[in-house]
Amino acid sequence: MWRPTSVDRPTGVFIGLIVVSLVLITVDLRASGAGIGGTLREGVQDVFTPVQRVVSAGTRPVADFLEDLSDIFSLRGENRRLRDEVIELERQLVEGESLLTRVGELEAILGLEPPAELDSIVAQVLAVGVSEFDHSRVIDRGRSAGITVDMPVIDEGGLVGRVISVTDEVSRVQLITDPSVRVAVRVDRTGETGVLTGRGSAPMVLEMFNTDAAVVEGDTLSSADGRFPAGITVARVLEPARSEVGFSLRTTAEPTAQLTRIDFVRVLVFTRDEAGIQDLEDLGRPPIIIPSDDPPAEGESDEGLPTETTIPTGEGEGEGVTGTGEEGG
Amino acid sequence: MNAILKYRRAAVVVVSIILAVVLQTTLFLRLRPFDAAPALVMLVVIAFARHLPAEFALFGGFSAGLLEDLLSQSALGLWALTLTTVAYFVVRIRDRLEDDFSLLAPFVFGLSVGGITLFAVLGTIFGEKTLADAGFLRNILVPSLYNVALTGLVLPLLTWALGVRDKQNPYQV
Repeated sequence: MWRPTSVDRPTGVFIGLIVVSLVLITVDLRASGAGIGGTLREGVQDVFTPVQRVVSAGTRPVADFLEDLSDIFSLRGENRRLRDEVIELERQLVEGESLLTRVGELEAILGLEPPAELDSIVAQVLAVGVSEFDHSRVIDRGRSAGITVDMPVIDEGGLVGRVISVTDEVSRVQLITDPSVRVAVRVDRTGETGVLTGRGSAPMVLEMFNTDAAVVEGDTLSSADGRFPAGITVARVLEPARSEVGFSLRTTAEPTAQLTRIDFVRVLVFTRDEAGIQDLEDLGRPPIIIPSDDPPAEGESDEGLPTETTIPTGEGEGEGVTGTGEEGG
Repeated sequence: MNAILKYRRAAVVVVSIILAVVLQTTLFLRLRPFDAAPALVMLVVIAFARHLPAEFALFGGFSAGLLEDLLSQSALGLWALTLTTVAYFVVRIRDRLEDDFSLLAPFVFGLSVGGITLFAVLGTIFGEKTLADAGFLRNILVPSLYNVALTGLVLPLLTWALGVRDKQNPYQV
């Protein structure tokens, strides 16, 4: 006759706690981080924020001192590199000024409005993720400062990430190096578009779909139209792109923002209402955006409705016209 | 006396978990040699699980993990499961361990590697893309090495704070 094997008390408690953990994971995943899990997270973060503020302020001088100490060893090389960079930048500045004049003239001829400057909220990084697999940062501004989910975050170097959750006092920012992040980018030199994918602590991967346009080391990549506003510097290419079975060019790039040492950031007051459309980066292909000519139906407000239709180029998953779905995110 | 010691140990566990979580998320924000930080909370769980009665140790590990889950974007319960497992292994092995760094160091290293790997694997199974991180080996090994480096400080400190004097019968509350 079958009898249950006797289990000692610690093992019984262990099994019980494992079952509770698995239930929690399942419930939280089903609620997609919202529901009771989301409420608890917000509450615990609110409780911990004052403590984190105090400890962060207290440990900052120590971190600064140790950081400065480690910097001393690399200062000479850094100085030489910066001098070279200044010479190069001065040259680029002269070129840039003449280009700006030409762009202004062309905009005037075409009757185009120059792009408006986005408002931004300055914030300081308060806390880091709890493990090396958590590519997020907590910043000290939240809902009360006007921050909402999905706003882009930048620093003086370029794109840092986007806001993924907000409490009244703080926000959590997902870094662009997170393996789940894909950013539609444009090579500044050629104007070709591609997709940049985070790989955690390793350099990001850039995939270009036009195999004819070369991507070389040092090329800078800016955000293309997508989840982020166009034109934000995102990364710098580390090596020339190689062709992968003739379908795409592939290379690595490093973020231009100092992600390992970020302190102050700016949250751009930008939410892409019309791109509650499918997340363009998730399609794996750079988008073509076709302005829609259809006027809204009578009695229908066009507020909150997309005015553009997005078509991913090329083949593969997500191919075809994506409409106004709300599955984005 | 017994009750006082019991409350003292409970208080020490709660305070050490909170302190470890706060330091983990603030001090190591910029103090990150080789762009990594120790898994301090895991080290604290290992430290108190050596001395507490088995059930207390397991609940302590579970609570520490749950707190980590609540302060991160990982699925609620993922760290709880990981740290409960770590505490369980400590409870099973602790009788064979002595307060000798040459024994404790490989023990802490092995548990840290095992714990972080378990988290990474579970994270991937539950869709967290943890193993999609191209530096996952580094993310496992470097924090584990830092944990070994901190073993000489954290383990004796918690042993002292928990008021463990009788090495022959340390779990007696």
